[in-house]
Amino acid sequence: MSNRVVGQSVPKIDAATKVRGQRKFPQDFNMKGQLYAKVVWSEYPHARVLKIDVSPAEALPGVVAILTSKDVPVNEYGINIVDQPVLVGEGEKVRWLGDRIAIVIGESEKIAQEARQLVRVEYEPLPVVSDPREAMKPGAPLIHEERGDSNILKHVKIRKGDIEKGFAEADVVIEKYYLTPHVEHAYMQPEAGVGYIDEKGRVTVIAAAQWSHDDLHQISHMLDLPLDQVREIVPAIGGAFGGREDMYIQHLLALCAYCVRRPVKMVFDREESIRNTGKRHPYYMKYRTGATRDGKLTAVEIELISDAGGYASTSIPVLNNAASFAAGPYVVPHAKVDAYTVYTNNAVTMAMRGFGSTQPAFAYEMQMNKLAEALGVDPVELRMKNLLEDGSIALTGNPMPKGVGIKETLRQAALGAGWREEGDQWIKPDLGTPSAPYRRRGIGVACGYKNVGYSFGFDDKSKVIVELALDESGEVARALVKLGASDQGMGAHTALAQIAAEALGIDYEKVRVALVDTSVVPNGGSCSASRHVYMSGNAIIRACQEAVRKRQEALRTGERRVSVEYEYHGRSVRPTTPYDDENGMCDPHISYGYTSQIALVEVDVETGQTEVLKFLAAQDVGKAINPEMVKGQAGGGVHMGLGYALTEEFIQKEGLVKTRRFSEYHIPTVADMPREFIPFIVEVPDPTGPFGAKGVGEMTTLPTAPAIISAIHDAVGVWIDNLPATAEKVWWKMREKAGMA
Amino acid sequence: MPTLKMILNGQEVFVDVEAGDLLADVLRDKLGLIGTKISCGEGECGACAVLVDGRAVDSCLYPALKAQGREVTTIEGLGQDNRLDPIQQAFIDKTAPQCGYCIPGMVISAKALLDENPHPTRQEIEEGISGNLCRCTGYYQIIEAIELAAERLAEKGGPK
Amino acid sequence: MWDEYLFPASLDEALEMLEAHGGEARIIAGGTDLVLQSQRGQCSAKVMVDITRIPGLDYIEERDGLIYIGAQVTHGQVAASPLIRSRAGVLAQGCGSVGGPQIRNVGTLVGNVVNALPAADGAIALFALDAEVEVAERAGRHWTPIATLYAGVGLCTVDPCAAMITQLRFRALGKGEAGAFERLAKRRALVLPILNAAAIVGLKGNKVERARIAIGPVAQTPFVAAEAAEALVGRTPDEDRISRVAQLAAQAAQPRDSLLRGSAEYRKVMAGVLVRRALWRAVEAASLQEGEDANS
Repeated sequence: MSNRVVGQSVPKIDAATKVRGQRKFPQDFNMKGQLYAKVVWSEYPHARVLKIDVSPAEALPGVVAILTSKDVPVNEYGINIVDQPVLVGEGEKVRWLGDRIAIVIGESEKIAQEARQLVRVEYEPLPVVSDPREAMKPGAPLIHEERGDSNILKHVKIRKGDIEKGFAEADVVIEKYYLTPHVEHAYMQPEAGVGYIDEKGRVTVIAAAQWSHDDLHQISHMLDLPLDQVREIVPAIGGAFGGREDMYIQHLLALCAYCVRRPVKMVFDREESIRNTGKRHPYYMKYRTGATRDGKLTAVEIELISDAGGYASTSIPVLNNAASFAAGPYVVPHAKVDAYTVYTNNAVTMAMRGFGSTQPAFAYEMQMNKLAEALGVDPVELRMKNLLEDGSIALTGNPMPKGVGIKETLRQAALGAGWREEGDQWIKPDLGTPSAPYRRRGIGVACGYKNVGYSFGFDDKSKVIVELALDESGEVARALVKLGASDQGMGAHTALAQIAAEALGIDYEKVRVALVDTSVVPNGGSCSASRHVYMSGNAIIRACQEAVRKRQEALRTGERRVSVEYEYHGRSVRPTTPYDDENGMCDPHISYGYTSQIALVEVDVETGQTEVLKFLAAQDVGKAINPEMVKGQAGGGVHMGLGYALTEEFIQKEGLVKTRRFSEYHIPTVADMPREFIPFIVEVPDPTGPFGAKGVGEMTTLPTAPAIISAIHDAVGVWIDNLPATAEKVWWKMREKAGMA
Repeated sequence: MPTLKMILNGQEVFVDVEAGDLLADVLRDKLGLIGTKISCGEGECGACAVLVDGRAVDSCLYPALKAQGREVTTIEGLGQDNRLDPIQQAFIDKTAPQCGYCIPGMVISAKALLDENPHPTRQEIEEGISGNLCRCTGYYQIIEAIELAAERLAEKGGPK
Repeated sequence: MWDEYLFPASLDEALEMLEAHGGEARIIAGGTDLVLQSQRGQCSAKVMVDITRIPGLDYIEERDGLIYIGAQVTHGQVAASPLIRSRAGVLAQGCGSVGGPQIRNVGTLVGNVVNALPAADGAIALFALDAEVEVAERAGRHWTPIATLYAGVGLCTVDPCAAMITQLRFRALGKGEAGAFERLAKRRALVLPILNAAAIVGLKGNKVERARIAIGPVAQTPFVAAEAAEALVGRTPDEDRISRVAQLAAQAAQPRDSLLRGSAEYRKVMAGVLVRRALWRAVEAASLQEGEDANS
C-alpha cells in the first residue's frame, strides 16, 4: 500500500506565516500594562557574593521591583540534578558568569536597563578552575562543596571482552589524543518571553522551550506551587538545537510574574545569550585502537573527559550517551571505556545536536582514517569490514536492533563521490585539478550513528490527544492533534500532521497541530533526542487507529466529535536498560539513525585556509516522512558540523568569555558552505518506527568535522586533532611537518 | 519628540520617535510590525533587513530618522492583498524556512537582489544573502528558493 | 544614544550646527559603526548631524585624471561603480569586502576612513592609491594626504565634532597600471579581516615604474610598506623579485598577537603571502592593461 501523505514533501505547516513575517516568536508578544525585566549577571566565574546593594537602583523612578534570592520561594533548579540557584544571594557562590544576582523590573526597558547598572555587588573572587583535567585532581578547588570532595560528577565505565587479548591480536595500534571545543548553539532567536498571571490565577510563561512539561515541574518546585498553578505556552521557536532544553529565561519570567503579579517581558540581547547560556561540552578524548593487518578491529581503549561547567545540567546523560557511542558504529570485540564529566568554572554545558554522540564521533572517525592510512587500506573499504549490521554486538554487549543502515549510507555516499567498488575493494576517485597552484585537494570520509529516543532504562513516552470533527455525512472535516511537542523549526509539527493524515486516511490540509500550551496539550516529552517522529509518531498512529474505530461508533450514534488519548511508551516495544555498574553492559537505546558523509576540500598551502568544494551526506532515516525536510536537516547539520570543523571558536580565558557577539563568534555564512551539496536519503526501515521511520535531526552533524579534517589531511598531510581547524592551526601543523617549527 | 514620516509598505505613516531610536525598534515597538526580527543587534546577521528606497539595510543599525521621507518596505509589505510575493511562495515551495527567524530578512535580501538583478547566477545569489545568517538550513533550500523565484518571475516578465 | 538628530541642507549649515553645539554634536553619515559606538558608550555626542541629505556629496567622478568620491558614497556604490572597477579596481575589491550587502548599502567610504581603524578594507585600498582627503572646517577647506588623518587605533585627526571630510581623491590608474586587494579572514564573508593587503603596480615595458603596498592591521594605522615597494621600482616583476619584495613588506609589518585574529608570527608570514599575491595579480592585470588603452 503506498502512502498518500507520508513520504511527500508537503509544505511545512507553518511556512506561510513564517515567510510573511506573521509567525509570533517570544519577543513578538506584548501584553497590556507589561513591565520589563533585566538580569544582573555575575561578574566573576567563581566568587563569593559578599554584599548586594540594590538601593541606588531602587531609587530610580520607574523601578517597580528588584528581585534577589530572598524573593525566590525555593531557590534551586536543574533539569537533571537540582544544583543551580535561581538567584545567588549574599554569602553564596557564583560558579560561572551566567549566574544571576538579581532581576530588575521597571516600567520601561530603558529604565530596567539603567537600573541594572546601578545594582552594586561586592565579590570575593575564588580560584577559577578552567580545565576539567585539572579540576579532576584531588585537592583542586571545589566548585560544589555541598556535593562531596570531588569535582567529578560522574564516571562511566565499560569493560567488554578482554582488552589485553584484543591488543595482543592487533598488528597495528593507533594511539591519539583529541579535543573538541565548546560550541555556541547560536540559534537566531535570542531568549525572550513574557511572564504573567493568567485569568485562572496561574503563573504563566510564554517562551521558547524544548520541553515545556519539564519546565513546569522545575517552575512549580521553584515557586512551591502545585503543578496546576503554573503554565507554559510555547509559540514559534527561533531554533534551539538542544540549547532550550534547560531553562534560561522561563523560570525567571515565572518568578517575575509571581512576585509582581503583572505581565513582565524580558529579552536577552545577543551578548547576554552568548555569555550566559549553555554550550556544547568540550571533550578531551584519549583513544587507542587496535586492528589486524587485514583491517579487522580488535580492541579500543578510550578515556573521555567532559567539561560540565559550573552546573550539571544534562552533563551526566550526555556522558552516558558519549560512552555508549565511543567505539563508533563498528564491531569491536574488546573494549575499555572510562568516561568522566567534571565541574569547572567555564560555561555550563548542555544538550546540543548529538547529545554526546557528536564529540566521540570526531575521535573514532579520526582513528579509523589514521588506521586506514597505517594499513594502506582505502578508508571506505576499512569501514565496510567493520561496520555494524543487524544483530551485531555493540560496545555495550547488546545486539543491534533490526534496521542497521550504516553500510548503505556509506555505499551511496562513496559511489556518489566517485569511488569504485570492485569486489571487496573500494577505489578512491581522482580528485581533479586544484583551482590554484598553491592549493591542494583532498577527500575525507566519516560515519556516525545516533540514538533516537531517551535511553538507559528511562521510560520514554509521548502522550497525544487526537480529536476529530465530523461533518454532516460523518466524514472527518478536521483533525486536531494535541501534544506537548515543541517545533523548534525542523518541522516536527509538519511531520506529525503528515503521520496523522496518513493514519486517518484524510488530507494533510485537514490536520491541525495545537499550539503547545501545557494547560491544553499533554506531555509529549522533549523536543530532543531526534525522537518526535518515532515516539510521538507512534503515539499518533495508535491514537488515530483508535479514533478511526471510534468514528465508526459515532456514525451509529450520530456523535459529531471523536476524542482519543494515547500514551506510547518506547519500552513497550524496545525496553532499554541502564549501565551495569561493573562492566557497563546494557541495552542502551531504543532506536538508531545512521549516516555517512564525504568531503572534498581544497587547502591553501600558504595560508592554511580550507575551502569545502563538495559535500555528500547520506542519512538512513528509516522512512523519510517529508524528504525535503530531511534534506533541510542534512543541510543544517552539515552547517553546524562545518562550523565545528573550521570556523567556530568560543574563546574563554579563566572562565571569562572573549567571543561575545556574532562579530566574534563565527557561524558559517552562505559563502562558507560547500559549493556543491549532495544529500542522499537512505531508507532502511526500523520495523518499530512509524512507517519504518527513525529520526534525523541530530545525526547529520556527527561525521561532518571528521570528514573535513580527514580531507585536509588527504590534501596536505597533517592531522588536526583539536577542533576547529583554523587556517592558522593548519599552517602551524604544515610548518611542523616541513620541519620548520 | 520628532515625527518620522515615511512611506511604509506603500502607505504614508507618521510616527513620533525619539532622536536616538533605531528603525527596527520603531517598526517593531511603535508600529507593531513584528516581521522584522532582531538577532545580533550589530549588523552581523541580517535578520532585521528592510528595504529603504529599494535597498536592503540592517534596520537594527539604522537611525529611524534616516528614513524620514523615504520608502520603507518590510516583510509585511511584500505581496499584494492576500497574495504572496513570488519570492515568499518559492520559499514555501522549497521548504526553505525552518525556525523562520532569519526568513523575513532573507526574503528581503532576495527581493533587493532580484529587483536589481532578475537573472542572478548562483554566485550572485550567495553574495546577495551573504549578509544574512541562518543557523538551521545550511542555506541550500534558501538558494534554491531564490533560483525558483527568479525563474517564475522571468516567466511572468520580471519582478514587481 | 543621542538626543537630537539634524539634517543640514548644506555643508555650511552642517559646520554651523557643529559649532553651535560646541563639541556635543558630531557628523554622522551611514552610521553603521557610530550606532554601535554610541550604544557601547564609545561616542558621547548628544547631537547627530546627518550629512547624507546635503546636495552634491554623492558623486564618483573623474576630473583631469583624478577620481573624486563624495562623502555620501557608500561601500556598495564604490564596489559597483564601473569607473572605480576599471580605474581603481583595488578599491572596488576592498569596499566589496566590507561587512555584508546591507552594511555596504549604508556605510560610507569616508566613514570608513574617519573611523581610523588599521584593518578597514576600504582605507587599505585608499592608502595603496595614495589618496588625499578634503577636510572642511569653518575656516575653510583643504586637501591633505590620507595618512595625516591617522593618529592611532580609532583615532582620527579630524574631529567629527568640529569638521568633516567632504571628499576623497586619488589618481586614476592608467595605462600599464593596476591594483589588487587580498584578504585573510576567519570565514569567507561578513567578517573583519585578520589581515588585508592592497598593491598598486605601474609598468613600463617589462619594468616596474611605480609600486605601492598597504597592509592592515599590522600597526596602529594602515601600514604602507614603502621600502618594499621601492625595491620593485625599476625592476622586472618576475616571480622571484615579487617574492623578495613581499618578504621585505612582511619584515616591515609589525602585527601583534591577538586572541581573535591570531599570532603575530603567523600574521607576519601571511602579510608576505598576501602582498605577494596582490602584487602578482596587480602585475598580471597591469601587463594586460599595458597593451590597451585603459581609458577605453
